[in-house]
Amino acid sequence: MTPGKGGPVLEVRDLARCFGGRDGRDDALAVIEGLSLAVAEGEFVTVAGPSGSGKSTLLNMIAQIDRPSEGTIHLRGETILAPGKADLNPGWNCQIGYVTQEDNLLPWRRLLDNILLPLRAQRRLDADARTRVAALIETAGLTGFERYYPHELSGGMRKRASLVRTLAYDPPVILMDEPFGALDAQTRTELHADLLRLWSLKRKTIVFVTHDITEAIALGDRVLVLSRAPARVVDEYRVDLPRPRDVDHLIAEPAFARLYESIRQSLARQAPKARRA
Amino acid sequence: MSRPGVVIAGRLLLGLGLVLLWTLLHRVLGDHTIAGLGDIAVRLWEIAQNGVLLRDIGVTMLEAGAGLAVGGLAGFALPFLITRVPGFEAALRPFIAAAMGVPKLALAPLLILWFGIGLLSKVVFVALVVFFLLFFSTLAGIRGADPRLIAVARVLGLRELMLLREVMLPSTLPFVFASLKVALPRAISAAVVGEFIAADTGLGSYIQNAMSQADTVGVFTGVIVVTVLVVVVNAVLDHTQKRAMGWRHSAIGGF
Amino acid sequence: MRIVVYRAVILALILACWQGASLVFGAHWIPAPAAVMRAFWLQAASGELWYHARYTLAAAVIGFLIGGLPGALLPFLIRRLATLRAILDPYLIAGYGAPKVALTPLFILWFGIGLESKVALVASVVFFLVFFITLAGLDSVDQKLIAAARVFGAGPGLIAREIVWPSAIPYVLTGLRVAAPYAIGTAVVGELISSNRGLGYSIQAAATNFEPAKLFVGVVALALIVLVLNAVLDLLEKRLLSWRPTGGIAERAQTSF
Repeated sequence: MTPGKGGPVLEVRDLARCFGGRDGRDDALAVIEGLSLAVAEGEFVTVAGPSGSGKSTLLNMIAQIDRPSEGTIHLRGETILAPGKADLNPGWNCQIGYVTQEDNLLPWRRLLDNILLPLRAQRRLDADARTRVAALIETAGLTGFERYYPHELSGGMRKRASLVRTLAYDPPVILMDEPFGALDAQTRTELHADLLRLWSLKRKTIVFVTHDITEAIALGDRVLVLSRAPARVVDEYRVDLPRPRDVDHLIAEPAFARLYESIRQSLARQAPKARRA
Repeated sequence: MSRPGVVIAGRLLLGLGLVLLWTLLHRVLGDHTIAGLGDIAVRLWEIAQNGVLLRDIGVTMLEAGAGLAVGGLAGFALPFLITRVPGFEAALRPFIAAAMGVPKLALAPLLILWFGIGLLSKVVFVALVVFFLLFFSTLAGIRGADPRLIAVARVLGLRELMLLREVMLPSTLPFVFASLKVALPRAISAAVVGEFIAADTGLGSYIQNAMSQADTVGVFTGVIVVTVLVVVVNAVLDHTQKRAMGWRHSAIGGF
Repeated sequence: MRIVVYRAVILALILACWQGASLVFGAHWIPAPAAVMRAFWLQAASGELWYHARYTLAAAVIGFLIGGLPGALLPFLIRRLATLRAILDPYLIAGYGAPKVALTPLFILWFGIGLESKVALVASVVFFLVFFITLAGLDSVDQKLIAAARVFGAGPGLIAREIVWPSAIPYVLTGLRVAAPYAIGTAVVGELISSNRGLGYSIQAAATNFEPAKLFVGVVALALIVLVLNAVLDLLEKRLLSWRPTGGIAERAQTSF
C-alpha cells in the first residue's frame, strides 16, 4: 500500500502490545499481536471484539497514549508511532481525536469551557470557532446547559459534551472507544442518530470500537471483527446499507439481519471453548 | 435519628457539668493547680485593657502568617518542579522519607540557636513545619491526579502551562486545601512552641513567663486565648473552603 | 540501576552542601557531617544516647497506649447511640482542634516535669487522632452491605461481627499508624519545654550549652527512631491487611478510558 491519493489515511501494521513480564520473565501477556488495519479517508470503520480483546489498548496506541511493543502506525503515509520512537505525541498534534469510554470532562470546568478547552489550547478560539461550537451544541441538544458543571448533567449529556468537545476542534481522524457503553438503550439510540447526523455534515474518518453488533452495523461502513487476546483482525464485513440510516428501522431490514448473523457467528467463534465435563 | 431538642439540652447540660466540675476542681485542688473561672475573666479583661493581649496575638499571628506564606508557597511549588524531570522524584524518595522522619518541632532549639530569639527564628520554624505538610500533600495530589484525564487533555492538545493550569492545579487543589486546613492551626502551635522555648513577646512567651512565675491564672488565660484563636481560624477556613470549591459540592463519586 | 546512581549523587550533593555550609558559617554553628557522626558514636558508646532515648520512648509508648486504646474502642461504643454522639460531638471536635502542644504548660502544671506530664500530653494527642479516624471508618461502612445482611435475617451482633468490625479495623490500624510518629514528636516537645531527661531535653540542653554537634546528634537519633518505627509499622500494616485487593501491573496498565 503506497501513500498518496486514494491510499489509507490511517494504517496500522503488525501491531503488538504486551503487558507485564518485566525483568526478562516469561509471563508477558500479549493483548494484541500481529494486528493490521487500514482506514480510508472519510470512512466510518467499526471494530467489534469480545470484551478484554484489547480494543481500548488498540485505540490508546493509535492516540499515542500507549506505546506498542511491535509494529508501526501511519497517518497519511507518515510513520507516527513505532516501538523505538522517542516521545509519545498524544493526539499527533491534534490530528487524531479520541472520544473515550468515560467522558473525561474536567469536573472543575463548566460544560462550555470543557468544550472550548482544546480550541483554547490550540489557540484557535476566535469568533468563528465560537459560532461553530454554538451550532454543534445546538445539534447535540445541549443548548441551555453551557453553564452547568459536569456533575450536574446526566450521563447522556456528558457523553454528548465529550463528543462535541472533540468534533469542535475538527481533527481529521476520530477514535471512539465504546463511547455509549454505559448508557441506557433509549439514550444510546438517540446518540447514534446524533452521531450519524454530525458525521454526515463533516464526513470525518472514524474508528469506532464496540462490543455491540447492532451498533457496529448501524454506524459503520465496514465492520472489523477482532479475535480474542492476543487480538488481530479475523473478519471484515462491508455494510452496504444506504445512508442516511434510520437506526430504529434498520433492524427490520433483511440485509441487516443477515449481516448481524454472520458477525454474531464470527464473534461466537472467538468465544472461549466450552469445557467438557 | 435523634431529636434535636434532646441533643441541645444534652449539650447544654454537659457544658454546665464541665463548668461545675471546673469550679469544684478549683475548690478542691486549689488556686495553684486550677485557676478559677472568675480570675481568668478578670485577667483577660486586664490584658485586653493594657494592650498586652492584642500585642501578643499580633506577634504570634505574624510569625504564623509569615511562616505559613513562605513555607506554604515553597511546599506547594516544589513538588511541581521535582515531578517535571522524569525519575527525579523517584530518586529523591528515600531522602524525602528521611526528612519526613525528623520531628520538626524538635528543630526549634536549633533554629533559635541559628536565628536568635526574635521573630525570624519562629518564622523559619513555622515555615519548616508548614513546608513539609504542603509538600507531601501537593505531591500526593500530583501523583493522584487522574491519569486518564491527563492523557485525554494531552490528546486534546494541552501542553505544559495549560496542562498545569487546567488539569494539574485543580487536581491538587483539594489536597492543598486539606493540608492548609491542617497547616494553619499547626502554624499557630509551632509559633507558640517556638515562643515557649525562647522569646520575649507573643502568646507562648506570655504563657512561659506565667509558668515561671507560678502564675496559674496567667497560664490558663494564655492557653485559652491560643485555643480560641485556633478554633476561630479553623472555622474561618472551613467556611472559605466550602465557597472556593463550588464545582465539587455534591459531586460524590464524580471523580 | 540508574536510580541508584542518582541517589548516590544526591546524597553526595547533600553531604557536600552540609560540609560547605559548615566551612562557610563555621563549625560552631553548623558542625560538619564527620563531627556529627563522631559525636553520635561517642554518645552511643557511652550509653548517654540510650539513656535519653529510652525515656522518650517510654513516654511515647505509655502515652500511646493510654490514649490509643480508648481512642480505638470508644467509637465502637457510641456507634449506635446517635443521641449521645450528637451531644458529645462539639466537645470532641473542640478537643480535637485544641492545639495540644501549646497546652504543654498546663500538663506540666498538673503533672510536674517528670514522665507523667509527657505521658498525659502524648495520650491527649493520640486519643483524638485515633478516635476520629476510627469514627470515620465506622461511618464509612457500606450501608448496602448492612441492608443486605438485614434482608437475610442477620441480627445486630452478626452485623457487627461480620460487616462493621472487618470494615472498620483497617481504619483503627490507620489511626494507630498515623498516631505513632506523633507520639514520639509530642513526647519530644514536652521534653523541650520542661524536663530533665529524654532526647528533647538533650537537644534543648545542647542548644543552651552551645553544643551544636550534640544537638544534631539528638535530631539524627530522633529521625532514626521514627524511620525504624515507620518501617516496622508499614510491614505490620501489610501483614494485617493482606486481604485487601491491590491492582497488579497488568491490571493497571490496561486501564480503559
